[in-house]
Amino acid sequence: MELRETLRTAVWTLRAHKMRSALTMLGIVIGAGALVAVMSLISGLNRSVTAQFQSIGTDIISVSLYPWVQMGDVEDYRRRKPLTVDDARAVDELPSVGLMAPNVHTGRTVARAGHEMRGTLVTGTTPEYETIDNFTVETGRFITGTDVDRRRPAAVIGSDVAEELFAATDPIGRAISVGGRRFVVVGVLESKGKLFGESLDSLVIIPITTLEKTFGRRRSVVIDCSPAEGVAMERAVEDIRQLLRARRHVPRKEPDDFAINTQRDLLESYSRLTAVLFFAMIGIVSLALLVGGIGIMNVMLVSVAERTREIGVRMAIGARRRDVMLQFLVESVILTLLGGAVGMAGGAGIALVVKAATPLPAAVTAATVGIAIGFALVTGVLFGVYPARRAGRLNPIEALRYE
Amino acid sequence: MLIQLRDVSKLYEVGAQEVPALRGITMEVGENEYLAIMGPSGSGKSTLMNIIGCLDTPTSGSYVLKGREVGSLDDDELASIRSAEIGFVFQTFNLLPRMTAFQNVELPLVYSHVGRHARDGMVWKAVDAVGLRERAHHRPNELSGGQRQRVAIARALINGPSILLADEPTGNLDSATGEEIMQIFRELHAAGNTVILVTHEQYIAEHARRIVKLRDGMIESDSVA
Repeated sequence: MELRETLRTAVWTLRAHKMRSALTMLGIVIGAGALVAVMSLISGLNRSVTAQFQSIGTDIISVSLYPWVQMGDVEDYRRRKPLTVDDARAVDELPSVGLMAPNVHTGRTVARAGHEMRGTLVTGTTPEYETIDNFTVETGRFITGTDVDRRRPAAVIGSDVAEELFAATDPIGRAISVGGRRFVVVGVLESKGKLFGESLDSLVIIPITTLEKTFGRRRSVVIDCSPAEGVAMERAVEDIRQLLRARRHVPRKEPDDFAINTQRDLLESYSRLTAVLFFAMIGIVSLALLVGGIGIMNVMLVSVAERTREIGVRMAIGARRRDVMLQFLVESVILTLLGGAVGMAGGAGIALVVKAATPLPAAVTAATVGIAIGFALVTGVLFGVYPARRAGRLNPIEALRYE
Repeated sequence: MLIQLRDVSKLYEVGAQEVPALRGITMEVGENEYLAIMGPSGSGKSTLMNIIGCLDTPTSGSYVLKGREVGSLDDDELASIRSAEIGFVFQTFNLLPRMTAFQNVELPLVYSHVGRHARDGMVWKAVDAVGLRERAHHRPNELSGGQRQRVAIARALINGPSILLADEPTGNLDSATGEEIMQIFRELHAAGNTVILVTHEQYIAEHARRIVKLRDGMIESDSVA
């Protein structure tokens, strides 16, 4: 029998038993739906996180007391000896290090004419910070070497600050209050968007010297730098590690008492996290599909028994064993594919609802669709083969006699 | 010769025991014969029909159909012989309940790979031959017993088989309807078909030109009316 005829017969048989077919598909629908929903959420999350990480700067090396991804006893980090501007200078002198920008941070109230932003991030740094940390000035300028040398009260403000304090007014050359001191706005930054739901644009950048003069010099310095031209990231990281261990007198077998953060490390720990999530989901979904598959096998076995006589008749009028087998196999594959499609639509629907209703991004990718269809197909064949073989192996004489 | 059976035996294994159903059957059937195989239940007539119909193969002996030894064929080859050479008519009609009369008649063509467009004309011709054009798009449960058996006959004839094999074709019908069905067989025989009836009813067997009587798996008599 031709495949087209087989398909026709199968569709037609399934339609004749609509309710049973629908119930049989349920397990597959749920499995495929869960698969698509979760994979869409994970891949959406991955995309947005990767995009967000780009905003940090791709080849940045950021040395601080705290690692970006913190594990174990957080109290330990607090007891660490601060990093100093001298440490930063020593790092800058390494041949494997290119640009370097020391930076210190504090939270202060930023205000102007009745508008006030409490706890705004104030960063004191040097001109190299613009390049290393991937900032772009929209209007005005970034802080300069002269600003740093002369400890000028110059401020570069993030787009959120500009909006909040100035609205439609041009902020350049105007005065703002930072922690109660008067600063003059020299530049406005382009928006960087959000990282993990937090705005990257709510900040004020001032010269590091000005910050230390105004707000004190006891803070630990974060040393942001990039590898020198043609030097591998790993090489620069290793040089910095050895230098700082020596400067901070870390004994040979002790671990580092500082953290060297790179975007790559961050991406790695993030993908490790989602990979675990991903495989856990695959496990759960496989279980759902297994249950769905057993359901299909069960119904197909009942169907074979119920249609024993029909099978006998078909064989008597010329059906070969493989014709009969294919007929039942195609039925179960259609059931699972249909279930897979319905589940996929449902899962994609859930993903889109989540996307619309929450900040969690979701993206239904071709790979997701492919995997869902693949899973459904494999389930259909895997659990359809046994009942189909049983149908194909019936003895036509006994099948014809079956009541 | 259309059918040549030579010393055909069939043993069934029931548990550890071997039960003989046929013991050394030798007979020939020519083209356009009208033959009845008779015998009480247990005489082996069903087994003989199954072997002639290529649903089963003999344990020993030889069955040559149209010059081809059938006894040694595998399942697929038997299926293709059934498809091309045999038309079955059963006591219980054995129509597929969810298909219309038309689709039931069409089914053998599907298995013998006749294209969809060619099928329509063939099916209508067969449906007309048994006088069921009006009822063609009804399902079996909407048809009377006699109409169902006509559908079954049309289905048996659709591939132009060498042998029309009817197993108690009137067994589930009242005698008037049974008579109508026998009339159809008579016409089919007159039109050149080879018809083999399997029955235990003397008056049905008498429609045939030749009667082979079986008893205990052997031929008891073979007579021409």
